[in-house]
Amino acid sequence: MRGFSTVLVERADLATGTTGRFHGLLHSGGRYVVKDPKAAQECLAENVALRRIAADSIEDTGGMFVTTPIDDPGYADQFVQACIATGIPVEEIPVAEALRREPRLNPQISRALVVPDATVDCWQVVWSTVRSAAEHGARIFPYHEVVKVTRDGSRVTGALVRGPGGDEVQIRAEVVISATGAWAGRIAAMAGCKVNVLPGKGIMVAMSHRLVNTVVNRCESPSDGDILVPIHTVSVIGTTDVQVADPDDWSISHAEIDQMLEAGENLVPGFRAARALRVWGGVRPLFQDDLPAQSRDVTRAHAVLDHSDRDGVERFLTIVGGKFCTFRLMAQDAVDAACTVLGTQRPCRTADEPLPDSADGRFYWMGSRLARREASLHDDQLICECELIQRGRLEDAMVQRGTANLDDIRRILRLGMGPCQGGFCTFRATGILHQAMKLSASEANRAMLEFLQERWKGVQPLLHGDQLRQAWLDNWIFQGVLDVEHLPGMAQTREHAPV
Amino acid sequence: MSGRAGDGRMADAVVVGAGMAGLTAGVRLAEAGLRVVTVAKGLGSLRLAPATVDILGYGPDRVDSPARALAAFVAAHPDHPYALVTPGVLAKSVNWLKERVNTYAYLGDPEVNMLLPTAVGVPRPSAVVPETMAGGDIRALKHVAIIGLRALKDFHPALVADNLRASAVSGGAAVEARSIMLNPPTGGEADVGTLAFGRRFEEAAFRSAVAAELRAALHDEQAVGMPAVLGFDHVGSVWTEFQEAVGRPVFEIPTIPPSVPGVRLARVLQERLRRAGGRFVLGAQAVGPELRSGKLVGVRIRTAARETVRAARSVVLATGGLASGGIEVDSRGAVRESVLGLPVWGRPSGAEPGFLPRYLDEHPMDSVGVRVDRRLRPVGPGGEPVHENLHAAGAVIGGARPWREKSGDGISLSTGYLAAGAILEDAE
Repeated sequence: MRGFSTVLVERADLATGTTGRFHGLLHSGGRYVVKDPKAAQECLAENVALRRIAADSIEDTGGMFVTTPIDDPGYADQFVQACIATGIPVEEIPVAEALRREPRLNPQISRALVVPDATVDCWQVVWSTVRSAAEHGARIFPYHEVVKVTRDGSRVTGALVRGPGGDEVQIRAEVVISATGAWAGRIAAMAGCKVNVLPGKGIMVAMSHRLVNTVVNRCESPSDGDILVPIHTVSVIGTTDVQVADPDDWSISHAEIDQMLEAGENLVPGFRAARALRVWGGVRPLFQDDLPAQSRDVTRAHAVLDHSDRDGVERFLTIVGGKFCTFRLMAQDAVDAACTVLGTQRPCRTADEPLPDSADGRFYWMGSRLARREASLHDDQLICECELIQRGRLEDAMVQRGTANLDDIRRILRLGMGPCQGGFCTFRATGILHQAMKLSASEANRAMLEFLQERWKGVQPLLHGDQLRQAWLDNWIFQGVLDVEHLPGMAQTREHAPV
Repeated sequence: MSGRAGDGRMADAVVVGAGMAGLTAGVRLAEAGLRVVTVAKGLGSLRLAPATVDILGYGPDRVDSPARALAAFVAAHPDHPYALVTPGVLAKSVNWLKERVNTYAYLGDPEVNMLLPTAVGVPRPSAVVPETMAGGDIRALKHVAIIGLRALKDFHPALVADNLRASAVSGGAAVEARSIMLNPPTGGEADVGTLAFGRRFEEAAFRSAVAAELRAALHDEQAVGMPAVLGFDHVGSVWTEFQEAVGRPVFEIPTIPPSVPGVRLARVLQERLRRAGGRFVLGAQAVGPELRSGKLVGVRIRTAARETVRAARSVVLATGGLASGGIEVDSRGAVRESVLGLPVWGRPSGAEPGFLPRYLDEHPMDSVGVRVDRRLRPVGPGGEPVHENLHAAGAVIGGARPWREKSGDGISLSTGYLAAGAILEDAE
């Protein structure tokens, strides 16, 4: 948008690192307002900006901070004071009114404070942003991993990247921006620079339906499992905070899951008996030069590092820290810094120009997919009943993405993300993919087995109750009825399937 | 009220569950003259199943003859339900089933596995199958057409054909297969499911329209494979007439639920139960035992409004495994048998995870279930029966991995048959 010729590379699909691994909460700033007013202010400003530019990806659920029996009753007053000081709109409502709005909430809550939290579909924002960038001339290369940051003396000249087929491509650039989150230290090291990122792992558990329709936060200093976020057809509880050595460490322990279910019980009694769909982990990119003991105490605000000052390496910037809600501001700050490096001043317009699909300013709403389905009830097939995905949209997405990977399609359409976790749609989508992308049988078979593995990965650590029953029905379909474990030519895939 | 059935009579047997195992036990008992009440929470898993009687397909290598492989398989899996089933019992139970299906025929026997294409084109071993499917045995096929129906999203003929071509069978060449997408008249509906197509194929006009379109598209293929939607109660004549109109042998390929062939078999067995004087109570969830002085005298049933007692001399537990809710696991990993709280075997111990990271791994939780004695009575820790008059059948019995072994309906049929046999012996 500022007239530069730009190339974006990402080692896997877009938003598979940290962006696609959060709970979907678009903060009002309330969560940070007491402890980190700067971060809270940024959240608030970006909440307002994103409602303006990305309405189609946002559901205006509103948010509520509630004082549960285990919370410090004095925190609510501090919270209100801090919200007023920071400018976050806050309104206290009677407990009875809170319970009327959210009948499943713990009836023992003593206070309820309403703030403008919302929920946001991370993949939709990312793909809308990418479409907008492409319309402005950017070239986007997912599945291209940086293997080397190239230098000429003290000056960075570009990057050597490896594509999906193993082929290496040299990209030359006037300036290189590393926006690699928890991986920023690794990329910086390739340029001979040093960036200390604390990878802070958090897990989230998705429940099979919306236990609440408003974002619910515990009114207390941020801790584990204190947010319940309704997003699309599910609700997500998060999160934990564990320092990990490796940003690719997304391992999930039984104890962490149990902690989330127990925390859910405090917010919504009966949570443990509700149907838990899936669990995943994400790694926060918390930046600090001196390592503190507890990563949640590190500021969530971001920093732009010009490595000519820090490491004597020119034309190389790192944008690090931050959080999903402030992604736009982070990009603005990084590009401002790049303008300075390049000796030019070009104003940023991303806070004002709506992304494609959001020009009408209408927020996403729960019934929108159903409305679309009803409009073509007799004319199109419903391929994913859980997420109401029609065949036409599925075929369009496959062809537009040009992908043989069903997980890429999932991130665009939510294929397989509902209660059956792909039990029915995986089979149908494979048959459609085989035809739409003119795949060989073995490519189609691989797509199916990899998607089954991908879905299994997130249900396997927490399987119990009704979701276990569902998973067993799915096993029965794929293994019992279809015999996918004996698909021709797939012995190799079984051995080497990603875990 | 305790001690009396809801209709004022004590039943000779209450059967809990309406899948393959429960229906087999119920029909056999009712036909022997016992007063039988079958209670079921839902319509039963059989309506979701391909309704092929798979006895043993993999152990883990592909099995050519289940009857001959059984002894070695049981020796390697001593806790498997087949440890209670002799080849003689298998043969008897299969013949028993064949005699009961009268509107069409089941072909095959435990001596030989056929290799029938699945809806992704994998040749899947199965021993006893509806006559409408047996023609798909790829050991005898060289050149087939696989047809799809445009409005049916649950069958993708090109993928079936491509995989069939790639599936070399030991000792034989791969099959030459081509796919044809037909566009049968659906009144403008783009999304027609298997059950709806099953009803349409019962109409002669629809059948002949499809046959005409198909005939025009065929070359010199020797047979035609199609999704299993050739009608319900009249499948025998629907299939025969359709083949004649097409002019080639036609075979059905079962696909994902709901299942037309499953509904056929469930209806046949339910009708057998009714005609033999058995009762079928739907929407009735069994929730616990009715005990008198520690002795099992019936089952407590929750219907929409209240809890009642079905009093019975014997109880057959055929509630299924993890997939059907007969076995449950809670959020803390505790495993329980859901109706009577019977001891469950095979659960992973202590810190061992129930499920492994790879989808196609054999998971420790796979084979949990109750364990039974030779008379199919669930046993306690010392091997003693929990109740003299309680018998289990089907997937609630642990020790198997039916979807991997391709053994599900074989286990359900043979253990349902045996559980009924044990009750009949007691009655004499």
